[in-house]
Amino acid sequence: MGKTLRTILRHWRLFAWMDLVWITRQPGFFLTYFVSDMLLALGTIATTFLLAARFEGIGPWSEPRVVFMLGYALLVRAVQDMFFGFNVAIISRRIGRGQLDHVLIQPHPVWLTLLTEGFVPFSGAMALIPGAALVLWAARQLALHPAALWLGLAAINLLASCAITLAFSFLWGSVAYWAPRAAEEISSAAMSIMREISPFPLDGLGPIWLGGLLTALPTGFVAWYPCRALLGIDPAPYAPVVTPLAAVLLSGLAAIVFYRGLMHYGRVGSQRYLSFGHRR
Amino acid sequence: MALDDASAAAESSGWRPPRRSQPLPRITALVGSARRFYKTAAMAAAAYAGDSPWFPLDYLLRLARVVVLLSLWRTVLGGSHTVSGISTDAVLTYTLISEVFADILNCRTDLIMALWEGSITSFFLQPTRLVSQVVARTVGRWGFSLVFFSMPLLLASPALGVNPWPASPRAAVAFGVSLVLAAVIGFALEYLFLALIVALDQSPWGIEALRGALAMVLSGAVVPLALMPWGLGDVLAWLPYASMASAPLRLYTATGAPLTLILLQVGWAIILWAIALRAWQANREKLACYGG
Repeated sequence: MGKTLRTILRHWRLFAWMDLVWITRQPGFFLTYFVSDMLLALGTIATTFLLAARFEGIGPWSEPRVVFMLGYALLVRAVQDMFFGFNVAIISRRIGRGQLDHVLIQPHPVWLTLLTEGFVPFSGAMALIPGAALVLWAARQLALHPAALWLGLAAINLLASCAITLAFSFLWGSVAYWAPRAAEEISSAAMSIMREISPFPLDGLGPIWLGGLLTALPTGFVAWYPCRALLGIDPAPYAPVVTPLAAVLLSGLAAIVFYRGLMHYGRVGSQRYLSFGHRR
Repeated sequence: MALDDASAAAESSGWRPPRRSQPLPRITALVGSARRFYKTAAMAAAAYAGDSPWFPLDYLLRLARVVVLLSLWRTVLGGSHTVSGISTDAVLTYTLISEVFADILNCRTDLIMALWEGSITSFFLQPTRLVSQVVARTVGRWGFSLVFFSMPLLLASPALGVNPWPASPRAAVAFGVSLVLAAVIGFALEYLFLALIVALDQSPWGIEALRGALAMVLSGAVVPLALMPWGLGDVLAWLPYASMASAPLRLYTATGAPLTLILLQVGWAIILWAIALRAWQANREKLACYGG
């Protein structure tokens, strides 16, 4: 356990260093990416923000509560971008292109490689600054004086929201094991669903749609439900643990499907390095 | 291969520009152009499912987005019948129609992606002009989405509790004109951004992301400009992005002055195409493709 943890930390440090080298080598190029990605992230939350500002809140969500939720959604995005870059989050691209071979030849378990080799803490931090700023501003407006328990629950919910998004991407992305070319972009479509719907409060939806957005398309768990729980809009005592539980269930399901796909990949391989593959 | 060489190669393959002084060859050339346009559009429409077989997921996202937005408007507007001169019913229709015609109101061609992938070189080897090729491919894709997403969404509108009809027959005609002008402005912006990327030798990704973020907020496709806070809408209404999305939607719901909106669109179309063509002419020889 201790050895594994040390390996993970060593890999993160290595990838962080390579990320820093990339930035310093081409600062102009990096800035273009960073600023445009930050604006893109802000663009996804702009609609809800403008509505909340115009109407002084949305239903049970006061304006600062909406801002908190938007900041939370950006933080979820930031964690994914910082820890699962290089198409780890969009796993179908790696599978479809045969790049999983590069993971398999590493002298580490697949899960460890996937957990560490997408770590880009500098170039992936475009949503971190606006996300943290929005959460801190909202917390101040809401006069939140969080206890250690609340902070712990917030951190667990944040990680759970990230896990749900990734699990959804891996679940759909596993289709690429069986249809590598056709499903190469399927994780990207799945991530779009999770990211684009997540900044909206879902309180006004009917039970069928709401149920759907908490199960089949679990985008409600990316920001809306955990923020309802954390801000006390949902008074149920079990509310803060619903998102972590959903994360455990969905991650388990994704792991099973991904593993089955991996077994299939072990039998058929990829055509990447065959004589008619696209790298020969 | 230089672009001029590519053009010369295309011409030597048998294609000749129409001779303008003779009426009959000119008509024949026009018919030929129309046929090429139709064939290219049909190929693009047919290739849609093959190139992106998971398009139902995109449509699912769009359906979920429109349902969520409709519920959001109902929550926000609550019992009030009119806000900033727009009725609740008009806002709901605005939202639905915005999604039905989303492809046209947020006009995107495959030019920039082709530049990114390096496949833009093949555009220059075709015996047709770049503009007509790009327009034909885009219109073909619009046709596919219109049949497989927009029409079903319109048919499902009663289930969503939204009146899909235009405010009046006059509004429908004005919308049709405005929609065409919106597309013309959209194509001009695509050309302009292509020229900009080539001129600055920048990555298409960065400029595309920037443009996507701007369009999302500035065009009024999601939030009607009149319902934006701090009087933002009054300023944004004069920008070209508003002429791409907000103008046709306002005409559909009869919440804007038709003559002013259409004249503004015509003005932007002329200005943007003049700039775009000039910028492209000045930079087309700088185009470099790597691909991979």
